[in-house]
Amino acid sequence: MATIEITNVSFTYRVLKNRSGSLKALFKDFINRKVHIENYVALKDVSFTVDSGEVIAIIGKNGAGKSTLLKILARILPPTTGTAKLSGSIAPMIELGAGFHPEMSGAENVLLYSTLMGRDVSKTKSRIQAIGAWADVSDHMDFPLRTFSSGMVARLAFAAAADESSDVFLVDEVLSVGDADFRAKSSARIKELTQQGSAVVLVSHDMSAVRKLATKAIWLEKGAVKMSGTTDEVVTAYENQ
Amino acid sequence: MKYVPLIRLLVSRELTLRYKRSVIGIGWTLLNPMLTSFVLWVVFSYVFAGRLPNGQQYAPYLMAGIVLNSFFNQGLMLSANSIQSNSGVLTKIYVAPQVFPISVALAGLVNFFIGLIPLAAVVYISGQSLSLTFPLVIIVGFFLALLVAGIGLSLSLVFIRFDDTKNIVGILLLILTYVTPIFYPISALSQRMQKIINLNPLTSYLDCFRWAFSNNATATINDWLYMSSTGIFAIIVGTYIFKKYWPRTVAML
Repeated sequence: MATIEITNVSFTYRVLKNRSGSLKALFKDFINRKVHIENYVALKDVSFTVDSGEVIAIIGKNGAGKSTLLKILARILPPTTGTAKLSGSIAPMIELGAGFHPEMSGAENVLLYSTLMGRDVSKTKSRIQAIGAWADVSDHMDFPLRTFSSGMVARLAFAAAADESSDVFLVDEVLSVGDADFRAKSSARIKELTQQGSAVVLVSHDMSAVRKLATKAIWLEKGAVKMSGTTDEVVTAYENQ
Repeated sequence: MKYVPLIRLLVSRELTLRYKRSVIGIGWTLLNPMLTSFVLWVVFSYVFAGRLPNGQQYAPYLMAGIVLNSFFNQGLMLSANSIQSNSGVLTKIYVAPQVFPISVALAGLVNFFIGLIPLAAVVYISGQSLSLTFPLVIIVGFFLALLVAGIGLSLSLVFIRFDDTKNIVGILLLILTYVTPIFYPISALSQRMQKIINLNPLTSYLDCFRWAFSNNATATINDWLYMSSTGIFAIIVGTYIFKKYWPRTVAML
């Protein structure tokens, strides 16, 4: 069985027309019969599978539904129709350092971040120094995060998320953080993880990174799959459109 | 159960962050109820001090009300806000969202227990001693935490959908504060008002709380029943509502 099986997934956002977010405005509109609920279809009938050790790239313009698809894969959003089956542990790297707090130290943030991702607290505690070293911020781990540069924060978050192997990694544009050295290091780490058997879903606008890492690709346009196939085919078609 | 380590981390973050940049840090948790009580004591002791039944002292009576009321009011607002203030996490990482309102309620419980220290001090300063039933305040705190978490869970969904409900809830909490016998004795009111005030569950929480630590206060078995049933009811309804409406609400974050 494939690690990820996405079958006919659609997702519809229900948008309240004239929505101003206030109860009073809603009440006024309701009295005047101006409330419309509009359905916005973000994903239409998307299907694909990813096996262990594979890297699938999802490409497409802004607003094509890439982020919605990642959120469904991360189990944050439930698909409106269709099924999303993922087996094993999921490490979402949708935004690096989600939940990081500027007043807490680097070590405290890593601990909370890893625990949020469902990892074991005592195991993470023993890995904190190694994570700091990998991110090249060892000297700063006990200082509040607000004293870190943004590059340091991103490196630390990547190091924490990629420290432990998971069955599925969801990577949204995070390989473009940091300087050239760190980009090479993080790409190498993703490769290493796939060799250990992780399945990776990669969302990126950086076509050279996609070509380097992905084994296959999906091109989304307006929520639907426009093309899927090997990385080379899809990326070439996307670039020549 | 698998969320216990996470909740523990979130509670400790909640407790340390609140006073992170202050000089005396967690000391504010001790000082805050004392200062608030002192101000109200100066204002109201002249009016109400002699009117308490059974020789109760006004200072501990008032302070018990303040400690309990601030746990409820602050806890409820923070708990109901916690989903929105953690939306950055909830839209990026899958984690049971209930952990946030529950952690906030538990952090409030810890603060409530810390607030018992200055309360005990005030009891002795006013020339009384703690009752042997003092440990029962833990039960009161426990049920109040259930009440806060339960209401917080259901309100957190409403807060995401409609921003202005925060103001409405703020006003409702203010009204609730005045219909709880915090700084006045219930006997100072008319029969009809007393009936209304006894309908307020917080009155029962407060009666049980005062009974537990003080030798002179009274609470009936009905107070204990009302307290425990509202706490349990709130947490059951709160988790049910949250579970039912969360899938529709998460897309709005």
